[in-house]
Amino acid sequence: MKKFCLAIIFLLTFIFIGAGCASGPRVYIKKLSLGRYRLIVNGRPYIIKGACYNPIPIGKNYEYDWWSDPAKPWLVDGKLMQEMGLNTVRFYQAHNDSQEVRNVIRDLYERYRIRTALGSWLGFWEYPGPFYGDKDFQEKIKKEVLDMVGAYKDEPGLLFWILGNENNYSIAGQVRPWSTDEIDKEPDPLKRRAMRAKVYYSFVNELARQIHRIDPNHPVGLGNGELIGLDTANQVCPDIDFVACIIYRGKTFGNLFNSLKATFDRPLVLSEFGADAYDAYLNKEDQNAQAFFLQSQWRQIYENLAQNKEGAGNALGGIIFEWTDEWWKHNEYDAGGWQVQDTQAGWSNGSYYFDIKAPDNKNMNEEWFGIVALSPDEKEFGLDKRSPRKSYYLLREFWKNPVLGRKNKKVKSK
Amino acid sequence: MTKHKIQMSKLSFLILSFGFILCFACLPAGRNFVICHLAFAQEGNRLVVLSKQIIEARTAQELYAPFEEIKDLYLKENKFTQFLDYLDSLGRNRKELEPFIDYYSALTRYQQLKFLEANQSWDEYFTRGASYRDKVTVGTQKAIQATSPTDTLHIYARLLAWQFHREQQDVFAEQSFSDLLNSVAEYAKGPTDIKPIKEVADKLFTYGEKAKARQLYKVYAGKIVASGLKDDELRDIAAGFYKEGNLELAEPIYDAYIDRIANAVQKEKIISGLAEIARVFAYQRTGPSDMLYAEKIFQKIEETGGRGAFDEGLMYLRCFNLEKAKEYKKAKDLYEDLLALFPLTTHSDEATYKIGIIHTYILRDLKAGREYFERLAQKKELSPQSISGLYQLGLLAQWQSDLTGAKEYYNKLIGLAGNNFADTAALARERLKEIEEGRVIEYNLKAFLDVALEGRASLFDAHKLELDSSAYKAKKDESINISSLASAGETGCMQVELQYLWSGHTGSTGNPALNESSFNTSYIPGTKEINLVVVSASGVIDHNIEMVDIY
Repeated sequence: MKKFCLAIIFLLTFIFIGAGCASGPRVYIKKLSLGRYRLIVNGRPYIIKGACYNPIPIGKNYEYDWWSDPAKPWLVDGKLMQEMGLNTVRFYQAHNDSQEVRNVIRDLYERYRIRTALGSWLGFWEYPGPFYGDKDFQEKIKKEVLDMVGAYKDEPGLLFWILGNENNYSIAGQVRPWSTDEIDKEPDPLKRRAMRAKVYYSFVNELARQIHRIDPNHPVGLGNGELIGLDTANQVCPDIDFVACIIYRGKTFGNLFNSLKATFDRPLVLSEFGADAYDAYLNKEDQNAQAFFLQSQWRQIYENLAQNKEGAGNALGGIIFEWTDEWWKHNEYDAGGWQVQDTQAGWSNGSYYFDIKAPDNKNMNEEWFGIVALSPDEKEFGLDKRSPRKSYYLLREFWKNPVLGRKNKKVKSK
Repeated sequence: MTKHKIQMSKLSFLILSFGFILCFACLPAGRNFVICHLAFAQEGNRLVVLSKQIIEARTAQELYAPFEEIKDLYLKENKFTQFLDYLDSLGRNRKELEPFIDYYSALTRYQQLKFLEANQSWDEYFTRGASYRDKVTVGTQKAIQATSPTDTLHIYARLLAWQFHREQQDVFAEQSFSDLLNSVAEYAKGPTDIKPIKEVADKLFTYGEKAKARQLYKVYAGKIVASGLKDDELRDIAAGFYKEGNLELAEPIYDAYIDRIANAVQKEKIISGLAEIARVFAYQRTGPSDMLYAEKIFQKIEETGGRGAFDEGLMYLRCFNLEKAKEYKKAKDLYEDLLALFPLTTHSDEATYKIGIIHTYILRDLKAGREYFERLAQKKELSPQSISGLYQLGLLAQWQSDLTGAKEYYNKLIGLAGNNFADTAALARERLKEIEEGRVIEYNLKAFLDVALEGRASLFDAHKLELDSSAYKAKKDESINISSLASAGETGCMQVELQYLWSGHTGSTGNPALNESSFNTSYIPGTKEINLVVVSASGVIDHNIEMVDIY
């Protein structure tokens, strides 16, 4: 008995000492030699294999509160995700009810070991706004962001924070334009743009700085459309841990990884990328094209992970846009249209060359980006039945056995 | 299994066995299995005949056609497994059959994968896909190794291997591509069937490898040219490819034909032959055209016979073709030549007006533009273009704040037009009203003039805004579509709100709305210029101008 007690004491001591030695941030980014980066989660390397998650059912639009859906779509989806090998979901913004958000994060993590990347729009879609040069607006957003961090920072399933999405496009003034009196006084349009960039990125950096003060356990990412504006971020964003890029370049990301190194040397999470599964030229679903693009994109992400010495080494992984189709996206105001999966493309992108000859060159079908389709005729578990597309299976195979395109090398999957 | 089914199954087995024995009894031992297999499979007499051809073939060349036909018979009904069984049943005791069996086995699995993709049978695609893909890889490799680049089968096996690896996006894609090209180059050296060369070129073209496809089309065209065809036959073949819409192939054969006739016939005949080709490729409303190729032929005509080789119609066609190819400076120069060489041309007013428009709004040379508009204004005989010339003079004066001068031009125009030229007269009346009411030029038109005449040429060079018409020559009141495409810069998946400031001759549609990137309209006769400026929240994106001729 004495020996048994001693053994228990020894074991407990060992555990406490071990835990003490292992103290430090739960999630952090380790800088390696030669400018490489690796994401570490609970002491182990972590490749982000993720999807943007917004399970809006057929017939509803973005206002639908799926977080409180009694059918709990994340349980059905989480199982499919786990079977596929997906380990991360991204929420663009948390719901108002923090308990509901916690439930989702916990369910996904505790049942399926899926972690959550949690973001904030930073008021980008507020009307009127966004006024990034306005102190009151900044304070309002800052409070929202810090409240979010306070509410979820201790969730074991939380992976990291992402601030903003494609907000940087507002700097050029073409979408969600904003300005200040001082900026308006500047006659040169290029200087006006530079001034707006400085205002915006300085604000985001301030948010990151404050987040780190209350949550040392999770990295903070800067959501950014392409690399636009990151030359300014390089000057004013010392507190940003990684860049969460939104990239739609078709088959390849091109020189993205090395360009980021040269512009703003931070690790890269492809936080939104992918391809739609609809051919706007031939007017029919095209699962093959979507799978073709996604496979190529994932190969390139893996080629640029830290463990692949031939790549840039700054990729931490990717988050596909998106898990399920969203049938409301073509016209968010037309309730009748939410019942129908619209086949009219909403924007043009020549990098997705299969269907670029569609009318007006509009080939991107916003309602068809899911790697899982929704069935309008069948319900399962109280939800629109999920039908995984080819991409789902293809990525399942790829993540199990990530054979790269160029060098025929395999990357060890974590 | 029910009792009845078991009995039926036994009965079938007995019948099959009897048939099998009968075949063995009737046919020579080396051939009977294949024939019996087909008989049992009840695929029809055709299969028996084709199988016999395979068995009796003396050369590899004789094997290809029956194999192809049998493949079609099976695969058109997606009988993949049955075809593979059939191939296996052929046995491998004849060495020359082996590469065919390997190739067609690979092709079958490749097509089966395609079939599964098309039908979204992802379970089978992913559970058995790996073994199917192995079959494709192994089968093509074996067929390639067992044949040489002089064999047709070798080329098809290389083609299949490349298609497969390219679609798989795997490590072998690049190598298989260069292997394919090298093999075709080697194959083309021999006196062989040239059909595979075209098939490979067609496939490369479909897969977007246009430069390499063009190279192979040239090789194919070269083989046709070298095949001893007469000149006319060569021309007819080129015309045939043109009619098929395969300009990539039509052009090199026409080139070869041109090279031939250049040495063989009289200058007049050369010129008429060239003119015929130029007319085929020059801008036309329907059918394929290659305006730059047409201009290349026009240049050959000029090299052969100088400007004198052009009659009025051919000269005008060259000008018009260049204008539609948006080679505006060259088009302007040639329109000037047209006026100099054929002062009485029926296209005189059209050419003069277009020179004025190009000078003014594209080359930003207002002074030169005005000179041409003045020439039209001085003409005693009225035409839609001479009236439009007056309008342009008025407009330029108004934009430069010479309101007295502008009024004079507009009043003169309205007086001369009377009840004719209603569209341009209406525009002049609108402008006059602006002057009389002390208003500036209408917003859309003013925006166009500001950007086109005053804007920074480096920023607004019309490259960020395409403007097109569904027809550039149309009949009076015929419906045409004017469309635009603006490049607003990178904004990810967020749509930029654009405003389309249309002005000029917009025809029967009136004033298109600000959010309309295109509109349908019709016109009364004349040369109609359509102006567009596109703006976003951050300012002007670009401008453009297009001209349409109505008869």
